[in-house]
Amino acid sequence: MARRKGIVETHSYRTFLIVAAFIFILPIWARPIPGEALHMDIVNLMVLTGIYACAVLGLNLLLGYAGQISLGHAAFFGIGAYTTAILCTRFTWFPTWLGVILGASLAGAIGWLVGKPVLRLKGNYLAMATLGLGEIAFILFSQLKGLTGGTVGMLNIPPLSIFGLKFDTDIKFYYLVWAIVLVIMLLTINLVLSRVGRGLRALHSSEVAADAMGVNTGSYRVKVFVWSAVLAGLGGALFAHFQLYINPESFTFALSILFVTMVVVGGMGDIWGGLVGVVALTFLPSIIQVFPEWIPGIPESLTNFSNYALVLYGLLLIIFMIFLPKGLSYGMERGVAAGRRSAKLLLDRIRAHD
Amino acid sequence: MRKRFGMGASIVVLALFVALSITTFGCGTKVQKPKDFYKIGAVLSTSGPAAPLGQPEQRSLALLEEKINSEGGIDGVKVKFIIEDDESDPAKATVAINKLIKQENVVAVIGSSTTGATLAMVPVTSKEMVTLICCAAGTKITDPVNEWVFRTPPTDSMAIAKVISYLEDVLEVSKIAILHDANAFGTGGADELQAKAPDHDIEVVAREQYGSTDTDMTAQLTKIQQTPAQAVVVWGTNPGPASIAKNMQQLGMTIPYIGSHGIANKKFIELGGSAADGVAFPAGKLLFPSSIATGSDWRNAVDEFSAAYKEKYEMDIDTFAAHGWDAGLIITDALKRSGNDPIKLRDEIEKTKDFVAVDGIYTYSPTDHDGLNVDDLLMIKIANGAWTEVK
Amino acid sequence: MIYGSATVFTLLLVVTLSIKGSTGLQWIVSGLTVGSIYALVAMGFSVIYSSTRVINFAQGEFSMLGGMLMYTFASKAGVPVPLAFILSVIIVTLLGAGFERLAVHPLRYSSVITVIIVTIGFSIFLRAVAKWIWGSDPVKIASFSGDKPIRFLGAALVPQSFWVFGFTALAVLLVFLFFNRTIVGKGMTAAAANPDAASLVGISTSTSSLIAWTIAAALGAAAGIIIAPIKFAAYSVGTMLGLKGFAAAILGGLGSAPGAVVGGLILGVLETIAAGVFPSGYKDAVAFLILILVLLAWPQGLLGRRQDVMA
Repeated sequence: MARRKGIVETHSYRTFLIVAAFIFILPIWARPIPGEALHMDIVNLMVLTGIYACAVLGLNLLLGYAGQISLGHAAFFGIGAYTTAILCTRFTWFPTWLGVILGASLAGAIGWLVGKPVLRLKGNYLAMATLGLGEIAFILFSQLKGLTGGTVGMLNIPPLSIFGLKFDTDIKFYYLVWAIVLVIMLLTINLVLSRVGRGLRALHSSEVAADAMGVNTGSYRVKVFVWSAVLAGLGGALFAHFQLYINPESFTFALSILFVTMVVVGGMGDIWGGLVGVVALTFLPSIIQVFPEWIPGIPESLTNFSNYALVLYGLLLIIFMIFLPKGLSYGMERGVAAGRRSAKLLLDRIRAHD
Repeated sequence: MRKRFGMGASIVVLALFVALSITTFGCGTKVQKPKDFYKIGAVLSTSGPAAPLGQPEQRSLALLEEKINSEGGIDGVKVKFIIEDDESDPAKATVAINKLIKQENVVAVIGSSTTGATLAMVPVTSKEMVTLICCAAGTKITDPVNEWVFRTPPTDSMAIAKVISYLEDVLEVSKIAILHDANAFGTGGADELQAKAPDHDIEVVAREQYGSTDTDMTAQLTKIQQTPAQAVVVWGTNPGPASIAKNMQQLGMTIPYIGSHGIANKKFIELGGSAADGVAFPAGKLLFPSSIATGSDWRNAVDEFSAAYKEKYEMDIDTFAAHGWDAGLIITDALKRSGNDPIKLRDEIEKTKDFVAVDGIYTYSPTDHDGLNVDDLLMIKIANGAWTEVK
Repeated sequence: MIYGSATVFTLLLVVTLSIKGSTGLQWIVSGLTVGSIYALVAMGFSVIYSSTRVINFAQGEFSMLGGMLMYTFASKAGVPVPLAFILSVIIVTLLGAGFERLAVHPLRYSSVITVIIVTIGFSIFLRAVAKWIWGSDPVKIASFSGDKPIRFLGAALVPQSFWVFGFTALAVLLVFLFFNRTIVGKGMTAAAANPDAASLVGISTSTSSLIAWTIAAALGAAAGIIIAPIKFAAYSVGTMLGLKGFAAAILGGLGSAPGAVVGGLILGVLETIAAGVFPSGYKDAVAFLILILVLLAWPQGLLGRRQDVMA
C-alpha cells in the first residue's frame, strides 16, 4: 500500500470545484465568433470530449485502479448508442432519456455476462479476449441489418429530450453532458477515497495481499468491469443523440485503442488523469491543424499534405510518453507543486525584504 | 469537515449547471459580415481509408479556386475553399462541418467523400440551414430528398441499373452471384442489385461478403462455384476486387466478372494483371471521353478539366476529381445569382438546370437532388490490359 | 494441452475434408497460406514479448514498410529482387533498432503499458509517413516465381504460397534455435524472467531489448516482402496484419515462436472454413469467438508457458 498520495488526490474536492467552475464559464468565454482566429468550435469539441470522458473515466478505474486492460470498450460504447437509437427510431413515442438509461444498462448487463468468464483471464490474455469481443460487436453492428441498419447506419435519431426539454443545440448538450461527467467524477472521487477504492488499489499492486486483506478480488474485478461498461454505454447513448446519426465505423478497434490511450496519456490511476487525457487527445488533432498558422514562415510543403497532422500526432504521442511516462496529470501535478514552491519562495523573500 | 463542505459546494455547482442547461442559451442568429471573398467549406476524407477519394476531390477544388480567381472571381469577388479532413470518420466529419459553419461562416459546404461521413453531416446542415453538396454515392443520402443536401456523383442505383442492363442484354444471364465488400459501399450496391434484379428476371443465387483488408477470397468463391451462377458481380474498391480476380484465375473460374464503378481506374488493371482481362464495369463517361460526342459542350468541359488537372498535378483525372470539381462548379455558378446568402444559395442550386459539368449534365429539382441520370454512364470492358467501350 | 488442441484441430480438418472433399481441401490450403502470413507477424510479437513483456503494436507496420520499400527498390528502381529484399530488410531493421534506443530504452523503468502506448504512437507515425511517401493506393509487387497456379486433388495454389510456407518454416526454426540453443538467446529469455540473474550471464535487459527489437523488425520486414505479391502492399495493411498477428500470437501462447506459427495457422484455417461454412460476413466473428473460447479453455495459449495467466 505504499502509494503516493498526490496533491490532486488530497485536494480532490477543491480541484473538482475549480474544474466545475471552469467548465461552467468556458462556453461564455469561448462562444463561436465567426471569422475569429481561433479555428475551432470549442463548445462542439467539448461536447465530444465530455461524451468520450464518460467512457474513459470508467476505463481509468478499470485500468488504473483494478489493473485490468480492455481493448474492447468501443463495443460497450456502441451497444449504448445502438440501443437508444433503435428504440427511439423504431418507436417515435419512446422517451429518449429512457433510451439512454436502457442503453447504459444493457451495456452493463452485457459487460456482466461476458465479464464473468473473461475476467478470469489476466493481462494480455484479457486484452486479447476483450479485443475479440470488440471485433464481434463491430461485425454484429454491421451485419444485423434489420436491427442496426447495417453499414449504412441509423438515420434520424431524435435529439435528447428530458421531460419536454429538448437538448438540440450544442450549448444545451454541453451543459447536460458535463453535468453528467461531473456527477461521474464525484462518484469516482468518493469511490476512490472509500474502502472500496483502497481495495481496488490493493488489487492493482498485489492480488495476494488484497486477498489477505479480505478483498474479494474476483467480485471487485467484475464490478469495476461492469461499471466501466455502464459508463461507456452511457457515453455511447449520448453520442447517438448528439450526432443524430450512427454507423458501425464509429465503434471500431481504433476507438477502443483511443480510450486506452487517453487513460494512459492522461495519467493512469489518477482521478483526474482520465479527464486530462480525453481533453488532450480530443483537442490535439484540431490544435495540430491550426498549428502552422501560429508559426510564421513554416514552409507550405510541410503542411499542405493532409497527413502531416497524423505524423505529428504519432510523434507527439511518443514524446508525451517518453517525457511524462506517468501521464499528463502527473506532470501537471508536479508543475503545480513546483509553481507553489517557487511562489512560496518568492513570498518568503518578499517577506524577508520587509 | 472540509470534505463535507466540498460535497455541499459541489452539489450547488451541479444544481447551477442543471439550471443553466434548462434556460435556452446560445443559438444566436448568424452575423452576415461583408466579405472580401466567398468562403466555401469542404469536408473531405483526405486521409484514412477513403483517402483515394478525398485527395483528388481536394486537388480539384484547389484547381478550381485558382481558375476562378485568376479569371477575376465571381463578379469581381474572389472565392476561397476552406478544406477540412474528416479522416474518413463520421464523428470527425461532424466536428469539421460545425467548425466550418460556426467558426468560418461558410456559405455552403462540399462533402464528404464517403456515404457514412456524409450522412453524419446531414443533421448539421439541416439544423444550421447551410447547403451540403456531397461527393458520395450512397442512395440513402438523397432518398428521401433532404432540402439542404445535393450530390454530384452518379448514384449507386444508376450504376446498378447499368450493370443490370449489361447482364440482361449483353450477357443474357438469368442467374448471378454477388460478392461484395462488407463496408457501406459494397453493402449498398449489393442491396440495390438484390432489390432490382428480380424485376429483370435475374435471380441472385448467392450473396457473399469479404472484408476490405482480406487477403484471400477463395472460400467465398468456392461457395459460388457450387451454385448455378452464370456471372459474378463484385462490388467493392481496390484492392479487394483485384484479389478476387486473381483468386478466380487461381481456381480456374471462367464465368464473367462484373465489377463496380469502384474499379474504374487503371490501378485495378495494374493490380489484377492478366486476371483483370475480361472484367466489365460501369463508369462515368468522362473517364472514356471518346464516348462523348466531339465538339459537344460536355466533351469540351471534360477535355478542358482534364488538361488543366494534368498540367497542375501531372496526373490523369479520375472520377473523384470530377465529383469535387463539379460540386465546386455548381456552387460557384449558383453564387453568381444568390450572393453571399446561404438560404438563397440553396434555392439557386435547386434551380440548376442543364448545367454542363464534367461528370455529366446536371438538372436539380425539388424532387431530384441527384442531378445526373443513367445516360451519363457507360459500361467498360478490359481487354488486353486496356479499356474498351461496351456498346 | 498441446495434444488436445492438435487432436481438435486435426479432427476439424478431417471433418472438413470428408464432408467438403476438394472444396474443403481448397479452404484448408488457402487458410494455411493466410495463416502463414499471420504466423510470421505473430512471431515478431512473440520475440519482443518474450524478452521485454511489451506488446509491440507497430509490428504490423514493419511488414507494411518492408512491402512498400520492396516496391520502391524492385518495382520502381529495378534493383534485382534479392538485393532489393536485403536493402528493404536492412532499412526496416535499422528503423526498429533506432526506435528501441530512442523511445523504448528511455522508458525501461516505466510500466509496460506506457511502452505499449508508445508503440501505438509509433504505428500511427509510420502509417502516416508511409502514406506521405507512397500515397494511399495499393501497389503491386511481382511474384517471385510467376503466377501460374499449381493444382492438386482439385485444389489450387499460387506459387508464392510456397515461398510463404518455406519462409515461415525457416523463420520459426531460426528463432527457435536462437532462443533455445544460443547463449545470447537463452540469456534474453532469462533477462525477461529474472533481470538480476541474467546480468550474471552478461545479458542486460537493455541489450536484450535491443536485440529483440532488431530481430522483430527484420522478421516483420522480411514477412511483409514475402507476402506482398499475394496481399498487395499498401500503407494501410499494417493495422490488419498487426491485429490478426496479435491474435495468432496469443492463441499460440505469447512468447513461443512455434506457438506463434501454430496460432497463425489455426486462425487462418478457421477464418477460411468459417467463410465457407457460415454466411461470409460473419467469418471474423466466428474466428474471434472460437479464439475467446480457446483462451477460456487454455488460458496460457496452446503452446505458452503457464505463468501469470489466470486470475
